[in-house]
Amino acid sequence: MSDRAQKTALVIGGGIAGLEAALTITGAGHQVVLVEKSPQLGGTTRELYSSFPHWENPAELLQGKIDEVQKAGVQLRIGFEVISSQKQGDIYQVVLEGPEQKREELVADAVVVATGFELFDVSAYGEYGYGSYPGVVNTLEFESRLREWAKGESKEAPPKTVAFIKCVGSRDRSKGYPYCSKICCMITAKQAGLVKEIWPDARCHVFYMDYRAAGKGYEEFVRSVIEEKHVRYTRGRPAKILPEDGRLLIRTEDTLMGVPVEIRADMVVLAAAMQPGRGTVEMSRIFALNTDEYGFLEPVSGQAARVGERVFAAGGCIFPVENQGALQQGAAAGAGVVALFNQAR
Amino acid sequence: MAKEGSDKWDEQLYQKVDRYGLVSNLEQCLQCGKCTGNCPVAAITPSYNPRAIINDILAGSTERLLDSEEIWRCMWCANCYRVCPVDINYPFLIMQLRYMVLEKGYGLKYVLPINKFAFRALEEGLTFVPGQKGKEKIMRLRSGVDAAPWPEVSDRAKAEMAEIFAQTGARKWMEDLEKEEEKPVRMSYREGRIIHEGS
Amino acid sequence: MKEARVISPEKRIPEVPEKLFLFRSCTGSMEYPGTEQAVKFVLDKLGVQVVMDADQTCCSGYILTCSGYTPEASLAVTARNLALVEQKYNLDTYVFCNGCFGYNKELAHLLNHVPALKEQANQLIGQWGYNYQGKTNIYHVQELYYRLLDRIKAQVIRPLNGLRVGVHYGCHYLAQQYGILDEGDLPTFHEEIIEALGGTPVFYKERRMCCGYAVGRGFTHKESVVQPHLGRKFDSAKEEGVQLMTTVCPGCNTALDREQPQLAKRGFGPYNIPVIDLAQLIALALGAPVSKLGFNANTVPLDGVLDIIGVGKESKQ
Repeated sequence: MSDRAQKTALVIGGGIAGLEAALTITGAGHQVVLVEKSPQLGGTTRELYSSFPHWENPAELLQGKIDEVQKAGVQLRIGFEVISSQKQGDIYQVVLEGPEQKREELVADAVVVATGFELFDVSAYGEYGYGSYPGVVNTLEFESRLREWAKGESKEAPPKTVAFIKCVGSRDRSKGYPYCSKICCMITAKQAGLVKEIWPDARCHVFYMDYRAAGKGYEEFVRSVIEEKHVRYTRGRPAKILPEDGRLLIRTEDTLMGVPVEIRADMVVLAAAMQPGRGTVEMSRIFALNTDEYGFLEPVSGQAARVGERVFAAGGCIFPVENQGALQQGAAAGAGVVALFNQAR
Repeated sequence: MAKEGSDKWDEQLYQKVDRYGLVSNLEQCLQCGKCTGNCPVAAITPSYNPRAIINDILAGSTERLLDSEEIWRCMWCANCYRVCPVDINYPFLIMQLRYMVLEKGYGLKYVLPINKFAFRALEEGLTFVPGQKGKEKIMRLRSGVDAAPWPEVSDRAKAEMAEIFAQTGARKWMEDLEKEEEKPVRMSYREGRIIHEGS
Repeated sequence: MKEARVISPEKRIPEVPEKLFLFRSCTGSMEYPGTEQAVKFVLDKLGVQVVMDADQTCCSGYILTCSGYTPEASLAVTARNLALVEQKYNLDTYVFCNGCFGYNKELAHLLNHVPALKEQANQLIGQWGYNYQGKTNIYHVQELYYRLLDRIKAQVIRPLNGLRVGVHYGCHYLAQQYGILDEGDLPTFHEEIIEALGGTPVFYKERRMCCGYAVGRGFTHKESVVQPHLGRKFDSAKEEGVQLMTTVCPGCNTALDREQPQLAKRGFGPYNIPVIDLAQLIALALGAPVSKLGFNANTVPLDGVLDIIGVGKESKQ
């Protein structure tokens, strides 16, 4: 048992999961230091233009959480990273490094790791030519394109056809990972629906192997994209993209028809797999955490969020997760910390 | 002809085909269609479909595969293998499937035209040696570029190559192919309802 | 994640060999005798010594896959050829035909990964004193050209004057899943070589597309598959204004060159795109006597191309 009267939790990562964990812990009367290595709070959610299954703007959700965190007195260390840690009894002595190599030490009675996921580098797929053909982009790059289009900030002509390729780096033992990244099907449906909303005359093709919409309202969401936004789904994993007269030629099989198909598009969006980020790998080393074979954090069996000694995890560092799931996991990790702190009282 | 009521199903087909253990990961197939999408033959004759052939081998459809003309169209470019997300070596699969089919007397006409070159290779240590007139032309061309009139392959090389073919049974296999009675193949690979045995 | 897919020339060939074993190609020696001579000329210019051996036989891969006989014989043939290189010369094996490359590499892979197959092959070839250990690495000479691109660049004396060259990589090179140069799905190293020679590389749409002749389809499915297939390839090359096509495989060269008049008869084209080996083009740029490159073996004549390079007259001498 720790004899420190006022307990402090260190939350690593200022995305939606980390923010929610910080709020849960401060809400129970404990102190939180939140470390975010990028210059802004918000994590991946900040890069999103819209969300599923309700087409909500995640910026509102995010700003609400950031305001609450500031009101709750969470101590923010923006631009800082955890570089080392020493466990002494029930506390961690942690060293942070910030802008201009500024070092700071602090003592944490518990830690929440919420370092998020990273996108798989889709240039591993030579057949899709990411990095060589300008019209081929990954999920998050396309999200910012959608924002520019919607705000009328883009000067480029609207695309006539946009194609979406799913499972790029996931469900691929050869170039990527065998696992399913779980949320790409929904992201793709959302993005294709948005294209049709912004440019109703554009054609949208989604190439899928299976579409996985297991979540509350998810199946209805994908169906609405097909039925109300008129996005066309073709079952088949494209084999090749070739440049042709300034456009992109996609070769695939329509596996339901059993015939090869060629489709021309102006833009191809690769639904990149999500993988553990370097930050997650670093934290698992620094805090000696449970990980799976890919480097994602793995909660101790039978526990919702505990991944090590007085360390909890939430969000994409455990596995790819959408905003709603990140919120829930953040709350669970926060609750784990609170329960631990309250035992000492 | 429809295949209703066929009793030629074999659940172990995928193992029997893979006699050299070259495609032991066949069950990893995701049926994603990347192979077919990248296949230059399917692009011209879509009834040839590598994904469907894998599916059929896993299902155990012996009859439909054995007498199919489709399996002879593959030109081994391996565009399928190149992009396969689970690294299924389809060219090795089709090669082994062809052994199985040949043994049962199907598809001989697709190998016999090359068989005579194979016999010549045993004697000369070189593949695609032409007849006398062709040889003379080659010698003329070779002399023109200051090369020896004929590619230098030693008698030792020729003798050992011929022995290898004799001792591994390859020579006998080639000779037997010439004698075998050919059964007709069907071009209608995907006609008819599929009824699994015992279902 | 498995092995890296994009391989640099330094990683592929860490040490430039002083001497290499050059694996004879059947089709190369018979259909286009100029190819072997060009390869030797280029390697000599690059300062690499070449040995060949009359005890080497055909790689046997082609007849393996065409005639459908089971692979024991070809495994033994491969083990024998490679054991010859190991025991007699202790060198790495360089091929100049994609067929030889693909079959030697695949069969050597099997021999080295399935102990029973290696033992079986070694037992058989042991009667003549051979023993294959898997020491000789198998490369394609094109990999060495790219590795030594600086040396090539420095010695160009007949620049290609912007000749529009469409390259053909050939699938038995590109199809290798792992361990080949560059990125097999989006290769550019041939184009970089063309650029170094002063040519204009043309990225035509179907440049990765197979020649259609592999495993005997040129004999059995010529009308139904091979010709329409080649039509698609040449259409895309013609559209982009390709003046010359290069190959790194005498087999591909045969398909792409010899098939053109027949394609024209069927209403494809006419294309009239001459097809030569990359080594022949490099040799031309490095100053090899045109008459010794054996272009008279080609079906589609090179006249116009040679004029662009400025050796049209010399070729007629």
